[in-house]
Order: sequence, then C-alpha cells, then structure tokens
Amino acid sequence: MIVQAIEASRCPRCGRMVVPGARYCPDHPVAMEPATVAGVGEIVSFTTLHSPPEGFKAPLHIALIELEGGARLFCHGQETRGIKIGSNVGVESLDGVFYFSHMSFADRARLFWRRAGARGEKVVSISKSLAKGLFRGRSRGDS
Amino acid sequence: MWIAGVGMTRFGRRDLSLPDLIAEAGLAALRDAGVERPDALVVAAMNPEEFTGAGNYGSLINTHLGLAQVPAVRVETATSSGVAAVYAGFADIAAGLHRTVLVVGGEKMTHVPTPRVSEIIGRSIDPHERTYGTTMPALAGLITRAAMHSRGLTLREMAQVAVKNHANGARNPLAHFREPVTLEAVLESRLVADPLRLYHCCPISDGAAALVLTAEPAPIRIAGIGQGTDTMAVRYRRDLTSFRATQAAAQAAYAMAGFGPERVEVAEIHDAFSPFELISLEDTGLMPPGKAGRATLDGETALDGRLPVNTSGGLKARGHPLAATGIAQIVELCLQLRGLAEGRQVSARVALAHSIGGLATNNWVTLVEARA
Repeated sequence: MIVQAIEASRCPRCGRMVVPGARYCPDHPVAMEPATVAGVGEIVSFTTLHSPPEGFKAPLHIALIELEGGARLFCHGQETRGIKIGSNVGVESLDGVFYFSHMSFADRARLFWRRAGARGEKVVSISKSLAKGLFRGRSRGDS
Repeated sequence: MWIAGVGMTRFGRRDLSLPDLIAEAGLAALRDAGVERPDALVVAAMNPEEFTGAGNYGSLINTHLGLAQVPAVRVETATSSGVAAVYAGFADIAAGLHRTVLVVGGEKMTHVPTPRVSEIIGRSIDPHERTYGTTMPALAGLITRAAMHSRGLTLREMAQVAVKNHANGARNPLAHFREPVTLEAVLESRLVADPLRLYHCCPISDGAAALVLTAEPAPIRIAGIGQGTDTMAVRYRRDLTSFRATQAAAQAAYAMAGFGPERVEVAEIHDAFSPFELISLEDTGLMPPGKAGRATLDGETALDGRLPVNTSGGLKARGHPLAATGIAQIVELCLQLRGLAEGRQVSARVALAHSIGGLATNNWVTLVEARA
C-alpha cells in the first residue's frame, strides 16, 4: 500500500522539502516546519549492490526517488527489472523502511486525479467526488 | 607560497605502521627541501582511530618524527583530508604565523578486513542514507547510472579511464598496481554496484605523502587553492551528475591564481571511481561539457596526449590511502614540473590537482606552477 503521507520538513524561507524530517534547512540556518508528502514519484537513479554492508542481503537494490511533493528519498526494492530512470513508482513502508514498487492500476488512477487536481479548483472538486465515489464503490465491493 | 620539498612512500600493501609511513614521507620531504626542523606541522589522517586504534595524531606524529617541540595540528575532510592539510599549512604561512610548514598525510588500511574498511569509509556518508545500505560504491553506482542516462557517458569511456591510469601506474615505481589492464578485463570484471565494476573502483592502500611549504621562493609555486562544499546528503542535491563542490573549488582556485583552465597542461584527478575522472574533468573546466569521455577514448588524456591526466596512475593504480591521496597528487605534479617524473615525464609548467572528500561533500582544487 502506497504511503499517503510521508513525514517531511519544509523550509519556511526557501520552501525546500526534505525526507525524513530535519531540524534545519540544509541551505539556511532556520528551523524547518513539519510537513508531509505523498509516496509517489519517479526514479532518479538506482543500483544493485553485490557486496552490501553487514546487515543487508545481496543483491541489494537501492533507488533514489524524486517525490512529487519535491523531496528525494532513498528506497529499497524487491527487484529492478522493468525499472528505468524516470519510471513512475509508488513508495511503500515496511517496518519503517521505504520500498519502491511499480504502481498498481488503482495507484495510477489516484495519481492521475491528483495531477488533474493541480490544474484548477473545478477539476479538483470533480476528481475528488469521482475518486470518493470510486473508493466507496470499491470498499463496498470488497466487503 | 612555495613548495620546497616533496616526499612519498610506495603505496600498496605495506607492513610499516602509520606513524612509520608518515615519517618516511615526511622526512623525505624535509630532506628534499633541505630543512631539518619546520616551524609547524600539519597532519592529515581520515580514520586513524578506527584503522589503527591510536588518536591525538598531531602529537603522535610530531613526537614520532623527533619534532615534539614543533606545533602540530591534525586536519580532516574525509577522503580529501590531505589537501585540507595543505590548505591549513598555506593559510598558516599566508597569515605570517610561520615561515616553513611540513604537511604530511597517510592512512594504513590493508590490515583491516575489506567489509570493515568499507564500513569505516562509509561513515563519511549521511547517517540516514547509510541505514539503506549505501556505501561509497553504491552512491557512485547511482551517480554513474544517472550520468550514463543524462550525459551519455558510456561503459567503454569509463573503462578506458582505468586502462589509461593502469598504463601510467605501470611506469610509477611508487604505485600500488604496476600491471596494465585491458579494456576487456575492465568490462568483464565483476559487478560491484551496477553499472560499476571492480576495475572501475580504486583499491584499498597503505601509504603516506608529504610537502614542505615555505614563504621563501622555491622551484614550485602554489598559484591557487580552492575549497568547495555540497550537502552531506546526496538526496538533498538537485544534480547527481556533476559535483557542485568541484565547480566551487575550481572557481576559487582559478580566481586566486588569476588564470583559468586553459593554462593547465597536466592534471591529477580524483578517480576513486573511473566515471568521476570524466565528470571532474568537466566540472573543473578542463574539458567542455559532454566531451571528456570521447577525449579519453581518443587518447587526449594519455601520457602523450594534449592534456595528460593522472600520470601517477591516479587513485585507480597509484592507490588511495585516503588522507595521503590529495598530497600524493601534488607530489606527482611537482615531480612533473621539476622534470623528475622518470619514465612518465610530460612537458608542463602549470598543473591542477583535484581531490574529492566524502561523496563530493568537501572538494579541493589546487593549481601549481613551475617558477619562471
């Protein structure tokens, strides 16, 4: 399940977002404010370590993800097959560790509406009600 | 600011202790300068506590060298600590506090198992990023893949860096590796951090290097020295494929020298990972953006090329005893400018050294010039 709200920090002066939260902005000696970002983004780069440090199993897949909310974060992955720089991925959390994953159809739909929302108030309200309808419909179907 | 003497041990697997290695390089530099007793001592060592179990390194070294009454400090900026020590010595003399300063750096690592060495060096990575198992090769692997994607860097170009540097190392009696390698051997070596392979990565080495800095005119002048920094966390950076720390260091060094990259005729570049040589040639302005890979394949950076790079063998073949490396680069350039680089001599009057600290968090560019 994609993390909807990853804890982050925002610099009140320059707007920079960082994950995980930090006390001070890396570019300004000012206290950052708590914020959250959604766990959707794209692959900036990735690698597979064949002799990882102690405590990790080989092969260790590591990716750097640029979140749509602006921050970048490191993730582990189950595999890198089908992954490219620029691939859209979701971020999941397991025992406090972030993992990237290919996005499911439902995740993609949510992402589509989130992006549509950015275009204007009207689209936001339409997408919200539509998404809500879809969500309700889905949960009824599940039960 | 002048360099009156240089000294360096053979790099590689050494049985000597770190203080003995540092003494060998330091006393050689003092002999070369004709100085028995410097006014001050600057020591660089990155992780001597972890590797050797000893601390208080300024005092340990001044006593070991028979210079217990000479003021000594220790300086550290991760893998670029050696140049940070040169900078401290430079500032000391420029401020008029002392006339002659011995700068010496070294590391002893080969007696420690490789996973433990990786872990110790890895402590220079952002603590949060380390919890994801990132090591230096892992971060370099990420950067390499991004550079291949956005800058069109190829595996062949990166492999040629290692081939060239091994060919140079074969001509340097103090280098860790003295055997040439083929392009095929590099491209077929085992994967370390995809797409980086073993032969794209520098070895773990022991060794030490030293300079004598002085206010009195000597054969070599330090024309400029500049530091540049960037965020400890790689995830805080907008651009993965060039190093802001190098660009800022180069700008500062050129500004101090009053000339630009066009006057540089030979360079030592921090090739801890082969692609870093290509990235850094462009970040220092020695090559136009996007041209370093092609230029390397065309032999422009070889010993007989337009701009010889890493005539010593670089970190790849000369070896990388952490805090010794930045000083060893300047030692090599002094030998080149003085015509003492037997077997690998190039013709040059102006030279550039580039050193990376951590994952390009604290970088340095130094410009040296032969006295007219």
